[in-house]
Amino acid sequence: MIRATNLHKRFGKVTAVEDVSFTAEDGMITGLLGPNGAGKTTTLRMLYTLVRPDRGTATVDGVDVTARPEDARRVLGVLPDARGLYPRLTAREHARYYGELHGLSGAALDKCVDELVDLLDMKELADRRAEGFSQGERVKVALARALVHGPRNVLLDEPTNGLDVMSTRAVRTLLRRLKDEGRCVVFSSHIMQEVAALCERIVVVAHGRVVAEGTPDALRASTGKDSLEEAFVATIGSEQGLMQ
Amino acid sequence: MRRLIGTVFRKELRDYLRDRRTASTSLLWALLAPLLFLVLINVMASWRKDKPLELPVVGREHAPSLMAFLSRLGVTLKDAPEDYEERIRAGSLDVVLLVPQDYGRDFSSGRTADVNLIMDSSRQSAQRSVQRAQRLLQGYSRHVGDQRLYARGMAPELAMPVRVEELDLSTPERTAAMVLNMLPFFLVMAAFGGGMQLASDTMAGERERGSLEPLLLNPVPHGALVTGKWLATVAMAGVTVLGSLACFIVVVRHVPLEDLGVRARFDAAATLGMVAAILPLALAVSALQMWVATYARSFKEAQMYQSMLMVVPMLPGMMLMLSPMQTKLWMFAVPVVGQQLLAGEVLRGEVLGPMPFLIAAASCVAVTLVSLRVTTGLLSQERIVFGRS
Repeated sequence: MIRATNLHKRFGKVTAVEDVSFTAEDGMITGLLGPNGAGKTTTLRMLYTLVRPDRGTATVDGVDVTARPEDARRVLGVLPDARGLYPRLTAREHARYYGELHGLSGAALDKCVDELVDLLDMKELADRRAEGFSQGERVKVALARALVHGPRNVLLDEPTNGLDVMSTRAVRTLLRRLKDEGRCVVFSSHIMQEVAALCERIVVVAHGRVVAEGTPDALRASTGKDSLEEAFVATIGSEQGLMQ
Repeated sequence: MRRLIGTVFRKELRDYLRDRRTASTSLLWALLAPLLFLVLINVMASWRKDKPLELPVVGREHAPSLMAFLSRLGVTLKDAPEDYEERIRAGSLDVVLLVPQDYGRDFSSGRTADVNLIMDSSRQSAQRSVQRAQRLLQGYSRHVGDQRLYARGMAPELAMPVRVEELDLSTPERTAAMVLNMLPFFLVMAAFGGGMQLASDTMAGERERGSLEPLLLNPVPHGALVTGKWLATVAMAGVTVLGSLACFIVVVRHVPLEDLGVRARFDAAATLGMVAAILPLALAVSALQMWVATYARSFKEAQMYQSMLMVVPMLPGMMLMLSPMQTKLWMFAVPVVGQQLLAGEVLRGEVLGPMPFLIAAASCVAVTLVSLRVTTGLLSQERIVFGRS
């Protein structure tokens, strides 16, 4: 479970996140929806401990991310905005490296890696070097290394950005599967349809604040609009960022 | 912690060694200097070989007894070409002896007879021939002078109140070290060149590819990441230094050092001393290179910083090589300078005792600790983690 409370972050004169609070439950997919520049990435970075909030707190499975960042990282699996690979390592070696950094080794590590190779359908690329992988293949490798330690909480920053239809579907299937396994899944997106298709719970972020929160139905009801798209426009107050 | 460091270390080395082209570049560092050395020594030896002095003479017929004296001492005499002045200026002739027409008259009447040595004093390569010719002519002058004094019943010693005798204090080992002075310099270069690529790739490359942010998401203390990466850099630098040293040993055994009148001290003890002198530098240089590379947003940018880093500390070293100073104890504490001094002294066959080695190593360790500390701190800075080009 992930709980953010009054997160606030400034970079110089720019306030990236003004005041963000939300709770993401286990066994549920929570979508952070908002236009570009709304503060989604910064919020996620605070949750996954690489950016220190100026104010507010966040906990992952009860672990405070600012007080005990290493322990928080242990229970988190993250697909960040940057998903660079090592061109000279194979897909399997990427997953193994991160597994070892999480303290796994030997047969246990082999098992985790093999399961992910199956789950992400990457048998063909498992032992190929990452040099020349397509966008979709790169995301698969990045997901494999993020999930190798079997984290209870999964954070994904725009996971389907730049992917083709097939890869997008593969990612969606994976997210549903993680949810069915009872994990807490949070992902950010600026694409309304995607959030609508996947999430039980939507947190709409605009200008660094949470402007609406709830199930898709609740959002529609609260704005009095029939379609989620209309509801979204109504909540953020402009058509900014509504694309695709 | 140790296991995590080991994991990072193994990954970095494997990753680096798979890049054949880059990895072989650092091997080149190890090989290039000894090969250069091989060629240089051979060339110097060929200059130095004592060939009979060839002395072109103008007006040989005016001084038959001088000519006889010279050829008795092994000088090859020949007639000077017409355009000898031109040739001396151009450097194709070293020196020409000119015997004027009235030499014979002055000589027979007991006056000082003049001969001219025509040379170009700005030409270094001719200096040896010129000196040899001067020495031979002075020898003849003294020889004849002595004879004349004897003939008048006087001891030649009366005309020589002071005799200058040159005592060359440089032992063969010392001369060798002058020639081998380049060796410490090259070993220091190897310490810089060996890990340079890996340091750039492991910090700046990681930023450029966008793999730093995911890496930092693992529950690993930044210190462990930096240490693992540093150890991989040290491994490359160390291997390059040792490889370079091994090549030098092979080369030194096969070059005609004796022809230069030098004997290099290259036994086991000297080799060990050299390793003890240079290896601590590999620790410090690797840490510094990582620090510098962390600021760079791309591999290319990092390489630029690395080459700048390479030049700055080389300057005192080069000055030391060109104009040797009196060695003082504090100099051992200056990284790069200290290592070059130590290796030089070891080569010269000096007995140093452990103190200079400890001072030099301690200063390297200090530089290492500071660099690693700062690099670790940088990994917590948002502008480093997220700042990408």
